[in-house]
Amino acid sequence: MTQATLERPSGQPRPVRPQQPPPSPLLVGGVLGAVAVTVVAGWAIDFSLAPVIEQWPKLAMILEEVVRPEWKEITDPSSRLWTALMETAAIAVIATFVGSLIALGVALLGSKVSAPPAVYRVTKSVMSVIRSLPDMAYALVFVAVVTGPLPGILALTIFNIGIVAKLTAESIDAVDPGPLEALDAAGATRWQRARAAIVPQILPNYASYVLYVFELNIRASVVLGAVGAGGVGQLIMLYFNRADYARLAAVVIVIFVVVIAIDLLSQLLRRRLV
Amino acid sequence: MTAETVARPKPPPKWPYTLAGLTLIGIVLIAGWSLDDAKWERLPLFPGEILQYAGQMLDGVLTWPGAHPEGQADPELTYGDWWLQSLKLMGESVALAWIGTCVGALFSFPLAFLAASNTAPLVLRVPVRLFFNAIRAVPEILLAVIVMLPLFGLNPMAGAMAIGVHSIGSLGKLTLENIEAVDPRPVEAVAAAGASWWQRVRTAVIPQMLPETVAFWLYRFEVNIRASAILGVVSAGGIGALLNRVLRGREWEWGGIMLAVIIIVTILVDQLSAALRHRILHGAEATVVAV
Repeated sequence: MTQATLERPSGQPRPVRPQQPPPSPLLVGGVLGAVAVTVVAGWAIDFSLAPVIEQWPKLAMILEEVVRPEWKEITDPSSRLWTALMETAAIAVIATFVGSLIALGVALLGSKVSAPPAVYRVTKSVMSVIRSLPDMAYALVFVAVVTGPLPGILALTIFNIGIVAKLTAESIDAVDPGPLEALDAAGATRWQRARAAIVPQILPNYASYVLYVFELNIRASVVLGAVGAGGVGQLIMLYFNRADYARLAAVVIVIFVVVIAIDLLSQLLRRRLV
Repeated sequence: MTAETVARPKPPPKWPYTLAGLTLIGIVLIAGWSLDDAKWERLPLFPGEILQYAGQMLDGVLTWPGAHPEGQADPELTYGDWWLQSLKLMGESVALAWIGTCVGALFSFPLAFLAASNTAPLVLRVPVRLFFNAIRAVPEILLAVIVMLPLFGLNPMAGAMAIGVHSIGSLGKLTLENIEAVDPRPVEAVAAAGASWWQRVRTAVIPQMLPETVAFWLYRFEVNIRASAILGVVSAGGIGALLNRVLRGREWEWGGIMLAVIIIVTILVDQLSAALRHRILHGAEATVVAV
């Protein structure tokens, strides 16, 4: 029925469908560039999937042990696993607390809302250098000084300062200027402005960043142990080097459950906060 | 005058904050006390020692690359060799991060369509989402140690695949969030014109979510470069293995050069990737502002 209304008066030529624009040269260049980088990168690391088939029996053997974990390691509360897990939790708690406290101060120095331009520029570039090193590098340097959990705590603290300070500084940049102007008009000092107008506004965001890094810390402290900075990671490396895959599987299961539980818990809390 | 008669509003009570603060401090103290081999007494000495080592590292970085370091077995060795070796290994780290990101992107992209509420039925959504979450919960290093090292041996392929599989989880989650955030109107229009599922996805969903998703791939690449340094410690390729050995051997000058290379390359790649992401998300006009 709509056919009738759509019919064109006879005699007029049928309009041509507009042609699709050709792909932009930038897009073509980008895709070609990505392909080129991939080829070079693949060549640099000798990309090959052949081992998946060749080495499959070896992996199957390990997986066979992994699916039969040593449950005693989990059920016995005095096992090495629980001691290591408590250590990891303690490391994460301390690093999160200390790191986040320092980060709040650094964030105030790293935003143009709360700091003079010179201070803010210097803080920002120092922070970006600190963030560019992986937490592992800090742990390696600190482990050379002392062993045990202390280097892990310090490495994670630095790592947390980097992340929380960056995110919080961005929140500070975005605060509502109204209260700030009111305080300026009343002649407030920098500290009073920060205390009365900035911190109350960013507190919920800040708390959610703290929870977020706590989550990251639990994961990261698993990694830190691998370089000898205490915690569950050390246990993983121990069992791996001994090829004790049944115990390793028990550790993996527990880490898996703990990480998921903390993820869910912090998501729940963060949703309430923001 | 009258101002004094008007009662100032009472500030909200402070005690809940005080209580929360004290509880937190309590937890932290208990945590600190439970670490009995933490050697807290070493803490005051720490800054001094770190500064001393940092000074030695800086010496290494600032020495003319043609000079020969002292105390090395090979008299021909120069600082320049250390720079070149670090650069080469860092290149390997970047390469394996790139391949890992490619693997992650390649698998997460189609899977995300099976996990988004506007493109997949519930029966598919739940298992795929569970899969994403499960993968994300396993740290890369565990994947590398248990699965990839036995498969690929001690070489960069193991690291690349560990990063790749881990990335499927995080990229998948972000991609599916992008898919769910698309404007539903074009999708409805295409559906009204009688498009099949594939046509709907191809013409209405992908064009909307692709720029943001590609930007996320690039961001993930930045994250993966940092992760690849960690994988080196378990000998899954990249600069981490040598860094581990050198810093454990307390060869601070050499270590300083390696850290400098890591910082320089990471910052360069971050800048490049940030510029690209900006270009992808905001188009050509905004690029000038970004740089």
